[in-house]
Amino acid sequence: MRMDGETNSPELILGSLKSQFPDVVSDALIDPRPPYMVCANVDKERIVDVCSYLKDDRQFNRLSGITSVDFLEESKFEVVYMIASYDHSVIVKLKAEVPRDESPSIDTVTTVWWNANWYEREVYEMMGIYFNGHPELTPLVLTDDMIGEYPLRKDYPEYPQTTAKYPYSDDQESVVESEYPLEEKPWPAERYYPE
Amino acid sequence: MVNKHDVKKRMRQLAAEYIHEPQREDYVLDDSEMMVHIGPQHPIQPGPFLIDLKVRGETVQKAKLYMGYGHKGMEKLLESLTYLQGIPITDRACYLASLSNNEAYVSSVERLLDIEPPERSQYIRVILQELSRIQSHLLGTGEYATDLGFVTMFLFMIREREYVLSLIEDITGARVTHAFPRFGGVREDLPDGWREKAIDMLHLVNERCDMYRELFSTDRTYRMRTVDIGVLTKEDVIKAGLTGPALRASGIDYDVRKVYPTLTYPDIDFKVQTEKNGDIFDRIMVRIGEIQESCWIIEQALDQMKPGPLFPEELPFGRRTPVMRVPPGEAYVPVEDPRGEIAMYIVSDGTDKPYRVKIRGPAFALMQGLPPMLENVYIADVPAIAASMDSCNSEADR
Repeated sequence: MRMDGETNSPELILGSLKSQFPDVVSDALIDPRPPYMVCANVDKERIVDVCSYLKDDRQFNRLSGITSVDFLEESKFEVVYMIASYDHSVIVKLKAEVPRDESPSIDTVTTVWWNANWYEREVYEMMGIYFNGHPELTPLVLTDDMIGEYPLRKDYPEYPQTTAKYPYSDDQESVVESEYPLEEKPWPAERYYPE
Repeated sequence: MVNKHDVKKRMRQLAAEYIHEPQREDYVLDDSEMMVHIGPQHPIQPGPFLIDLKVRGETVQKAKLYMGYGHKGMEKLLESLTYLQGIPITDRACYLASLSNNEAYVSSVERLLDIEPPERSQYIRVILQELSRIQSHLLGTGEYATDLGFVTMFLFMIREREYVLSLIEDITGARVTHAFPRFGGVREDLPDGWREKAIDMLHLVNERCDMYRELFSTDRTYRMRTVDIGVLTKEDVIKAGLTGPALRASGIDYDVRKVYPTLTYPDIDFKVQTEKNGDIFDRIMVRIGEIQESCWIIEQALDQMKPGPLFPEELPFGRRTPVMRVPPGEAYVPVEDPRGEIAMYIVSDGTDKPYRVKIRGPAFALMQGLPPMLENVYIADVPAIAASMDSCNSEADR
């Protein structure tokens, strides 16, 4: 394993993020389970600065992926950046909150990592988050008539709204029956078709 | 009340503002240039995707890749199924690496549940991972050889793959889509007499791989078509964010099994296969080396594993309980796929279904890295380069 604990360990990365960006980074912590990711919330206005710092000063030369989560009840999106490296084994998970308004947007990181291009396009077409300054923000896998549908949002009509609640009850059987009545299946859900 | 159609119309307007017009260099400009479309259905392709090549004479000037013909909406589908029902869905992400996909999903959920499978289960999973890698590399190399016009090689490879598939079939009962790992263990133990059968067959595969290595490196015509063609330098692979054999062929010894070891990989001795040049030839040599290394890993795992239970004593749920509530949290566990790093980012909100599953697959990065590689090569080399990356369209689309 190529972990060089002297220069790049999760603790050091966490400390340097906190000291470099005291106002920007919040809720920074280390995931107690392997692969011991460094997790932090970042102000969305400064995401490019934090990413550039990680790439230029901390050898995070690999963008593992960008994804997004829709929190309908809190009325926000989270854009999640998984940042890793070919030189050491620390993973950083950055989260930027984007308000869930009419045109949610965040700055692009294609200027930092070239391969952010397609990940951002996928987030855009699936979740409807716009990336300012992206070189070609067009749909990647969806067809043209699905532009503006944003299927991974939680209010997309096909999403089933009923699930059982945590914590789990001791008698699994009764929960199963009460939460999933066999005869009542709201399917197909209300559909609408493109004009 | 807000009309749904009005909302949708407004969203489309907003989306249209961000859509970029095609650039000048995307069009054919004079008589010496031509657009060549390869796909979406073409004999050289493992799955449907479209490459638009702008060619001048015989040289590719610009390549553009369009995908989505096999989009399955898998991430949305996983949100609407319980955790246990999700396992068979992950099989379908890439049918050549279904056991790796299962492993990525199951280990992420295990992190959320905070359980660890007992040692015997971990060894069985390691064995299955490596068998899956062997059969995927064999088929990938065979298909690649077909694209070069080397069909005999495909028949050789598919013969060996048959042996390996029968080994997998003996354990899981299925040949392509297995759904074998479970949260905290595996479905079944190894069958009686499997060890002896496996060791015989793995020796055979190992010997044959030596033969193929010699065949590939001594054939003059084959070398002319592959050496120093489709070269990816270290800077290129880092820029494109590749993982897997395509990365290691360029000389970077990055392997998830070493960097983020899961299961019992720390106890197993194996070498990360690397080559130096990063051309087509090296990518195939890395795959053949990995097949042999996987045979060695399986032998070690068979020697080290001891009899024991398949599931931990205290599971917070039954082995086959359809409804299992998972504590809130997030998990991301990288696993080495035959093509590179696969990881599933799972967000749980405490119910019996995942709140969000993001499948981060290696094929997506391979597809993204393909168009820049095709610039300034001959059209005849395009199939060889595309096939040597061994990307899987089914997984990239998801």
